[in-house]
Amino acid sequence: MSAVNPAFLDELEAYGENAGALCFNCGTCAAVCPLDGGHFPRKMIRYAQIGAVDRIREESRELWRCLHCGLCTQTCPRGANPGEVILTLKRLFAAEWRKS
Amino acid sequence: MYEPKDIIAILANNVRKTMSPFGIPKSMVNGWWKEESLPRNGETLLVTGLMYQLVPFIETATTWLARYEDAKWAEYLPYSRFVPPRLSGLGLAMITPAEAKRKAAGHLKNIVKAMRASGRRFGYQPELDEYSGILLYDLGDQEGFVRHAKRVAARLKGAGVTSIVTVDPHTTYALKVLYPKYADASFEVRAYFEDLNLSGAHAGETLSIHDPCFYGRYLELSGASRKALGNLGYACADARRSGLFTSCCGGPAESISPKLASRIGAKRVEALGGSGERIVTMCPICLHNLEKAGADVTDLSTVLAGGLKTA
Ligand code: SF4
Ligand code: SF4
Repeated sequence: MSAVNPAFLDELEAYGENAGALCFNCGTCAAVCPLDGGHFPRKMIRYAQIGAVDRIREESRELWRCLHCGLCTQTCPRGANPGEVILTLKRLFAAEWRKS
Repeated sequence: MYEPKDIIAILANNVRKTMSPFGIPKSMVNGWWKEESLPRNGETLLVTGLMYQLVPFIETATTWLARYEDAKWAEYLPYSRFVPPRLSGLGLAMITPAEAKRKAAGHLKNIVKAMRASGRRFGYQPELDEYSGILLYDLGDQEGFVRHAKRVAARLKGAGVTSIVTVDPHTTYALKVLYPKYADASFEVRAYFEDLNLSGAHAGETLSIHDPCFYGRYLELSGASRKALGNLGYACADARRSGLFTSCCGGPAESISPKLASRIGAKRVEALGGSGERIVTMCPICLHNLEKAGADVTDLSTVLAGGLKTA
């Protein structure tokens, strides 16, 4: 079972502005995303919301498939800025790699 | 798909050492201006950000990366780590075709031609024209991006630059939005097609416009390119997704997964091809990726400069 970190979204703010908490999991972002199928980026936003850091880490390569095209952000009905949440997650891991 | 960690490490290292993501000396990348007799000073400074100039090298690098991306023996041999570092520096410069470099230079010359015909008074100082660092930003290497952006901004500020005209969406976004936020540097930044004053009579030709994400969505400039074309008499057809809702060409995925970039490019070409009109875009990355996906794509600068001949 994966550990969860309820404070993860707050901690993520050190790496960028993000409004992931506003997401109500509707899937509009995944429907418009030009990446092929799947539940990206909705799934990652959900993991971030519940603090499933291990799951994000396991699937972290997926983050770099993101084109940072912003179509998800443009269409998100909640203003949750999913594209920016993905970029912020990339920053988190990239910063860890720099330190390692 | 290559390991993001490896790709970021290579690109960041190149940028830190050479100010270029591919580690190629600027003298080998940026020579287009030599035949243009450009003044050094003007009302605004032309900053290309070297994106058009770098695309031929990106083309070469991604062709090689694509060859090894899903190689069966990649899991036995560390090829996925072995290939990317070879695709940097002088080695990459040597295997990049001269014709591709000439084509990229041609776009910049056409931009200059259109600006001159519009009476724009701009200067160009090649020593101040640097890569913006946008790829590091997009890949999440915030520390690497901020350090580089501050270096570039310090040079521009040190030279007293306040107003900049740009030629591609990635550099425009970096200088206009990211530099004020992260590099403590605010310039007045305009894309070259925002202030053109051209006229012509091309009634009858309709163009199918692919808005690059940064111009169409992030910077909301899709109206400006259509206006410049409209003034020359062209009609513009919108693809199903355009303007604020434009769909990506796939190009940004190239450094990590050339195959993913190709798949997305093919989907976009299909959507753009529906009207049967000539496809026009205004970004070197889009141009390259849509062409690679099989489309016949024309850069906005070619249309604008071509329009002048018969104007
Ligand atoms: S980020 Fe926005 S579009 Fe995506 S699932 Fe959440 S609310 Fe819906
Ligand atoms: S920004 Fe990333 S997640 Fe959002 S639509 Fe574009 S590719 Fe998909």
